[in-house]
Amino acid sequence: MDIENIKKEALEKIENIKDKNDLDLFRRDYLGKRGKIRDLFSLVKDLSIEEKKTLGQKINQLAQEIEEIFLLKEKGFKKEKKEEIDLTLPVKMTELGNLHPITQVRREMERIFQLMGFSIVEGPEIENEWYNFDALNIPEGHPARDALSLGKTFYLKGGNVLRTQTSSAQVRYMKKIKPPIKIIVPGRVYRYETTDASHETNFFQLEGLFIDENVSVANLKAVLKKFLEEFFKREVEIRLRPSYFPFTEPSFEVDMVCTVCNGKGCSSCKKTGWVEILGSGMVHPNVIKNGGLDPKKYKGFAFGLSIDRPTMMKYKINDIRLFHSGNLNFLKQF
Amino acid sequence: MIFSYNYLQSFFKEPLPKPEKIAEILTMHSFENEYIEKRENDYILSVDVLPDRAGDCFSHTGIARELSVLLNRKIIYPKVKIKETLKDKLPIKIENSSDCLRYTASIIKNVKIEESPKWIKEKLEICGINSINNIVDVTNYIMLETGQPMHAFDYDKIVGGITVRRAKKGEKILLLKEKEQLLDENILVIADDEGPLAIAGIKGGKKAEITKETKNIILESANFNSKLISQTARKLNIRTDASIRFEQNIDPNLTINAIERTLSLISLPSSSKIDLYPKKLKPWKVKVSIKDINDTLGIIVSEKEIIGILTRLGFVVNKNMTIEVPTRRQDITIPENITEEIGRIYGYDKIPLTLPSFSKPAQINYDIFWQNKAKDTMKELQYSEVFGYSFIGDQEKEEFNLSVREIINPTSSYYKYLRPTTIPQLINFTKENLKYFNKVKIFELGKVFGKEERIVLSGAVSNSDYLGVKSDILALFNSLGINKVSFTKEEIKIGKDIIGKVGIKSGITFFEFDFEKIQKNAIDNREYKHVSYHPIATRDISGLVDDDLEIEKIISKIEKIDLVKSVEVFDVFKGKNVPSGKKSISLRVNLQSKERTLDGQTIDRIINKIKETINWEERK
Repeated sequence: MDIENIKKEALEKIENIKDKNDLDLFRRDYLGKRGKIRDLFSLVKDLSIEEKKTLGQKINQLAQEIEEIFLLKEKGFKKEKKEEIDLTLPVKMTELGNLHPITQVRREMERIFQLMGFSIVEGPEIENEWYNFDALNIPEGHPARDALSLGKTFYLKGGNVLRTQTSSAQVRYMKKIKPPIKIIVPGRVYRYETTDASHETNFFQLEGLFIDENVSVANLKAVLKKFLEEFFKREVEIRLRPSYFPFTEPSFEVDMVCTVCNGKGCSSCKKTGWVEILGSGMVHPNVIKNGGLDPKKYKGFAFGLSIDRPTMMKYKINDIRLFHSGNLNFLKQF
Repeated sequence: MIFSYNYLQSFFKEPLPKPEKIAEILTMHSFENEYIEKRENDYILSVDVLPDRAGDCFSHTGIARELSVLLNRKIIYPKVKIKETLKDKLPIKIENSSDCLRYTASIIKNVKIEESPKWIKEKLEICGINSINNIVDVTNYIMLETGQPMHAFDYDKIVGGITVRRAKKGEKILLLKEKEQLLDENILVIADDEGPLAIAGIKGGKKAEITKETKNIILESANFNSKLISQTARKLNIRTDASIRFEQNIDPNLTINAIERTLSLISLPSSSKIDLYPKKLKPWKVKVSIKDINDTLGIIVSEKEIIGILTRLGFVVNKNMTIEVPTRRQDITIPENITEEIGRIYGYDKIPLTLPSFSKPAQINYDIFWQNKAKDTMKELQYSEVFGYSFIGDQEKEEFNLSVREIINPTSSYYKYLRPTTIPQLINFTKENLKYFNKVKIFELGKVFGKEERIVLSGAVSNSDYLGVKSDILALFNSLGINKVSFTKEEIKIGKDIIGKVGIKSGITFFEFDFEKIQKNAIDNREYKHVSYHPIATRDISGLVDDDLEIEKIISKIEKIDLVKSVEVFDVFKGKNVPSGKKSISLRVNLQSKERTLDGQTIDRIINKIKETINWEERK
């Protein structure tokens, strides 16, 4: 068969091909292992070298040409198969599961403190009175003990209390780990409260404790500022104000510049430009002693951070009770 | 506590900075200022005096003293001018010197009870105290000035002498403007020979009240045991301007100063002071080290500056930094208290920020790791996380027949027990949410309280598709690397250990797992299994097996056979056309080799082996 005829026949055939199946057959017939091009090559092998060369070139050219028209046709088929779509049609959003906003914020806090070398530990929610009060330098008869124990503490039948602050884990871990002790204790705490938009009986705190031979207020300031900057993802200015807690001396209230007005003064910061963010201080020597350590050798700082409040600040939530409402209209927003 | 700006000004010669500035200085160095309010030609400063400083700072003198230190200005104390010319006396007795540390009194004769001068009435009003008469007002004015509560009795109504003693059980007192109060031996009273005249440190009685007819008075300036006063005030639920001060440690050396100031203002001749002070409180010493103070603060303050601050605060600095503490500062007992004084006066804002040097990396907490992993998986399975209170009430207790731990002082009867399970709450949450959603899938990972406090992972789905829940449970366990899980009718087991249960209540499917048991079996490291590119051969077989052979067992037996990739059971039935003791099942078996495409012969051989393994019978 002569080359020109094959070419003509192929061109005619491919012109009439209407579907993918026929195109596959065409490929098999011409370009396949037992196709016509192969047949032509097998004829050439008995010819002289001179003829081999000229005819060989011609067959190669034919093969190239047929392959080109095949690819062109194939491309055409692919184009035709494009599906019609219409994204303007309405749909329902895919349902995802959700993590509680407190879980999300707590994880973020844990992540930041872990980066600064704080290990996460947890303590029991049912505490004995010694760890909840006495160990924290709040002995029987202390006004702070009365304020906490008579007004704010839940007592259980058969003894023990529900912890009023995550600080109750401080002395437990001082007894367990050797310094340097660098821990955070996140978890649920309980206060006897009349609940309203800003008061809850069940809420969450994150306690921080760093005990070593040389720990200073300067360290506390740096760690807290770094934490707040990472947490709020912006530059943060903080200030320490004198405060009083039985378990720290000196004690501080830590304020940060109001994120709403940048310190200019607005309704969320009561026009002061500052927002109270946590309580902290240098661990009281009696607490270090209660942890079985020598207060002459070891110093430390401690701080107690609410998890609920920064969560409310972050998402502008105006009612703390929503956290325990189980209401998916609320929980599915995060 | 409310302070008058003008009152504070009266302690200084030079004008004070503006009220806003004063408020800021106090906030940063002493106590937080809550608010400032303009009142005619004065300002109100509301200051949150810290509890450990109430003993010396529930007074204008106290705040003025703070300002004198912070502004480095000299404080001018008001003048005292008295004429102790009267010869009158009254027998006074303290029954127990640990109840009453000091009792100072003075008799004044021929007073005229009338309205107070305007300047006193104004000061009292600004500080929130009602004007009563010139004598009572002066005692209150001096209390605002010095922090020492005072009391005035009608001298002529006292029978015999005064005794400071515990009340007798069943004794009564008629209080000012109030009803009769029953007393007992835990309550300290000021009594004459007939009975109680006042509840010590808290409130005066009707009997020796100052009235328009009063001519002669006796002034009391005393110091009582702060814990006793605090307990009584709380028990009787009476809080007065006197009691909130006596609940703190007031300096017993203050009584004389206060009574002399009162006498100066009344400016009538008085008797010699009657002063019972069994154990005089003297200044005490605290030894500090400059290095310790600086190390703790993380800054270098010079010795000179430290001594300067302490001297301004009224401390006496002796050799070797042994500090003599004035008796008004009963909050200062250990070196750390001094460190705080230096820090706050010097200014916490001047302390630099120094990140601690790296000590050791944080350790992984595997409890938290697995909790996070489980929560993430639940989220992937389209569950939303909820938190329930740790409290439940009778309704949950009875409906679910729970044994519970009781709270002695619950906030309400709905919250009087600790929850031993989260299921009742999850079911309630599901019901509530069904008002707004077509389908609800929720979970909680939280503490429950039985004999022990433990952590559970539980969930609820708003339909009875418990097999769908089973699929979720399988996915959860797979994600946690647990493959030894098996099921009974209502329970989930790992090995022989029951780790959780599933149930349906009011059309809601729920489950609860003991999370510690899950965590104990969870595995984080996985080994790669060879990925085969050879085709999967699928065969469906139906037939009869023994009824008592559990589906779980059938599957696990078949999956152990070589070249079996997976088995699904897609139909099980008993009854019609099935002989008793048997059940009909339909299985789909997927076979695959890692090395080759399976031929028909091999496939037949495996299917036969499966049939033998499970004691298979053809259906007739």
